[in-house]
Amino acid sequence: MIGRLIDWLNGRLGLDTFRELAEHKEVPIHRHSFWYYWGGMTLFLFGVQVATGILLLLYYRPSADEAYESVRFLMTQVSFGWLIRSIHSWSANLMIGAAFVHMFSAFLLKAYRAPREATWLSGMVLLGLALAFGFSGYLLPWNQLAFFATKVGTDIPGSVPLVGHFVLVFLRGGENITGGTLTRFYGFHVAVLPATATVILSLHLYLVQRHGMSVPPSVEDAGGRPRMMKFVPSFALRDAMGWLAALGVLALLAALFPWELGRKADPYSPAPAGIRPEWYFSWMFQTLRMLPSRILGLEGELVGVLGITLAGLGWAIVPFLDDPQGRGRRARVWTWVGIIAIVYVLVFTWLTYRDVKR
Amino acid sequence: MSAARRAVVLALGALLFAASEARAIDTCYNCHRNETDERLVGPTRNILRDIHFQKGLTCASCHGGNPADSEATAMDPDKGFIEHIDHKSIVKVCTKCHADAAYMKHFNPRPYIFSVEEFQTSVHAQLAARGDTKVATCTSCHGLHGILPHTDPASPVYKTNIPRTCAKCHNAEYMAGHNIPTDQFERYSQSVHGRALLEKGDVSAPACNDCHGNHGAAPPGVSDITMVCGTCHGREGELFVKSAMKAGMDKLGKRGCVTCHSNHGVQHPTDAMLGVEKPGVCGDCHPHGSKQDRATAVIVGGFFGLRDSLTVSDSLLKTAEVLGMETSLGREAWKDAQDHQVGIRAGLHSFDAAQITGALGEGLELAHKAASQGRAALKDWRNRRIGMALSLIVILFLIVLLALKIRQIEAGQKAPGAVSERT
Amino acid sequence: MKRRDFLDWLIGISGTALGAFVLYPVVRYLVPPKMPEAATRRVVAAKKDELKPGSFKTFPFGGQPGILIRTADGEYRAFTAVCTHLGCTVQYRSENRSIWCACHNGTYNLEGGNISGPPPRPLERFEVHVTGEDVVVEKAKGA
Repeated sequence: MIGRLIDWLNGRLGLDTFRELAEHKEVPIHRHSFWYYWGGMTLFLFGVQVATGILLLLYYRPSADEAYESVRFLMTQVSFGWLIRSIHSWSANLMIGAAFVHMFSAFLLKAYRAPREATWLSGMVLLGLALAFGFSGYLLPWNQLAFFATKVGTDIPGSVPLVGHFVLVFLRGGENITGGTLTRFYGFHVAVLPATATVILSLHLYLVQRHGMSVPPSVEDAGGRPRMMKFVPSFALRDAMGWLAALGVLALLAALFPWELGRKADPYSPAPAGIRPEWYFSWMFQTLRMLPSRILGLEGELVGVLGITLAGLGWAIVPFLDDPQGRGRRARVWTWVGIIAIVYVLVFTWLTYRDVKR
Repeated sequence: MSAARRAVVLALGALLFAASEARAIDTCYNCHRNETDERLVGPTRNILRDIHFQKGLTCASCHGGNPADSEATAMDPDKGFIEHIDHKSIVKVCTKCHADAAYMKHFNPRPYIFSVEEFQTSVHAQLAARGDTKVATCTSCHGLHGILPHTDPASPVYKTNIPRTCAKCHNAEYMAGHNIPTDQFERYSQSVHGRALLEKGDVSAPACNDCHGNHGAAPPGVSDITMVCGTCHGREGELFVKSAMKAGMDKLGKRGCVTCHSNHGVQHPTDAMLGVEKPGVCGDCHPHGSKQDRATAVIVGGFFGLRDSLTVSDSLLKTAEVLGMETSLGREAWKDAQDHQVGIRAGLHSFDAAQITGALGEGLELAHKAASQGRAALKDWRNRRIGMALSLIVILFLIVLLALKIRQIEAGQKAPGAVSERT
Repeated sequence: MKRRDFLDWLIGISGTALGAFVLYPVVRYLVPPKMPEAATRRVVAAKKDELKPGSFKTFPFGGQPGILIRTADGEYRAFTAVCTHLGCTVQYRSENRSIWCACHNGTYNLEGGNISGPPPRPLERFEVHVTGEDVVVEKAKGA
């Protein structure tokens, strides 16, 4: 009977095309195959975000008067509200972590080589969207930490000359962080960013299917074309195992380390001590904090912002800067750039937490 | 009028105005402020801020003499000038105006009219009538030649300054030779009232005059004390007045509230004051094993039982809160129980065993409700962990099964992973 | 049953179990709780005929006690029950038509104004609506 239903759907929707694609898709097997799973992991966690986010939408109220209370109501009165909220907060962090792993592994394995430049670029856009999701969502519970972290976070682009002030006002919906900022961030978080992400994500996934999985130059050099495994069922089942493990980790985190409610935001109070943005921004934050106040006659923070922006741009256009085959001296230089970048991000993230603890 | 003429008229007008202004403070003030002798120049230092001066009175208003005369003849004793108003005349000088209702109404439609009758009930007035010149009179408290209204924080009779003003005389040195206690200010500053007023600036706390009176200052009579304390501590006073305890104390000439709470050095009452055993105060009069001791044993037990129950339920709720659980229902019950406890602490003053025990029972019920809410929250927390553990078991199991499935599928093919050589 | 079918069957059962573990909280979550709104801005304080004229009750409101008064003419008034002096819970005295705090004899009038004793500020006033069977107390607009 289910077979008849599938036949009917197939006749109308042309599902056979997808089935053939899936059956033909293959994944190379080699010592770096482990990194192939991280894109799918990011996608899975994004799916968790969409599902839990939609559920949260049913109870959350995006106004300065009611946001905090609605989150408290959700955590305390709604059945399993605590679970949905904690999963959403934890999964956000895991998703961004997975996205970084996916990006760094793609970089070091030089998956950005032709013809996959567009895949890489769309991926960088997706990373930016993920960070924007994280930044906008963080404000929504309207607690002290979120309020002041957003203040600090929007102050920084405000320091850029010429466009900085406009960007600050655009982000905040005014000069200061107010209920208007909350409404605006809510609009970004549940409408603008999801719509944009859907489009870019579709493009990214299409490109991945079109070009297939990239084989790293070192593997190609070692022994020609590698063995392949079928996507369905071999890779897909392994993917599923990873996703199940991620689900288990989320259950563990939500139950053992529930996300806290905090205290309701009070704009007139002084900023709480040790205020800082979320961990995925902290390496940037720490960099800016450690710069001297003046460099070459310019304000230190501005030099930091510009420097990080330039570094990010350079990183994004690496397909056009590195050797097209990913071999030779230039390729080795870029591999080292990648390793240094990873170490830098890790060290500076760690420094933030070490400093705050003191 | 031509421009020149207008200018002259304006200038003359200004001069006349300045002259008249100057005349108002001119005569006595203008000479005395240039003197070097402290006795003569001292009074001029703060006189411009003096409320009397502000309202248009002059030196002559109290000292007599001729304000229009700028020569020494202004100070002619035959013409009514009084150089130094002596101690026992001060009251007469001040009350000349301040006890005159019709006169005071010129300055304020709702004036404070000094009551000479009230003043004469005071110890200060009685001693002064007998010729004592060390005793307080108007200027001792209100100041002199710079008197400010009592609502001005710089005035020595502003609420927070009153204790120190009284202590200017009521201390061991000044009162040497008199047979009265001199430790009032010391005790008061350590008391709950003194700390509230002097350290926290809570002007709703009583200063000396709130219990002793202002101009009719006298220690409250033995039977009056309950009324005095009861002015603010209304509930306790109400209950105590009707109680058997008060009847008993009156018979023995004991001083009501002061007996257990002391007066100047009154501290925030603690639960430890209950009971016959030290530091309980009941034992000061009622010995161990007495009828009263037995009658109140139940109350004391119940009271401490309620307190312990509140502590236990509070710690249960706190534990649940720290773990991130919802406790608002429990907290409400706890607050109700605590409100009961506050009411019982006041209700103790009725010394009515039946009423107190009833209230204790209610309070205990509420505290138990709060405790059970706390326990329910902790149980809920445990359930979450159990749910998490079960779901993890299922997930792990499923992961293992999938691994087996993969192995099964790939073993069924020629080699691990379908090998396809793309040409 | 062959090993292969047994494994498939096991996977099916476990998958269903996992599905239940995921769907059960979601379904429970979708069912709204008894109190549909956070009780910090508005709350049902009493039933319509619960209070006789001239009486009062305290009710929980946003984690603090509130006081609902029905005056002798049947009108409702609602305020925070937290005395502005030192935080004791106030009560209504119908014989003087005033709100009274037993701790230090503070008194407020029926507008919430502090009229005698130590309280330094008036009591925050709430709005009261009677809708159907419920007497609803709500924080004042702009509060």
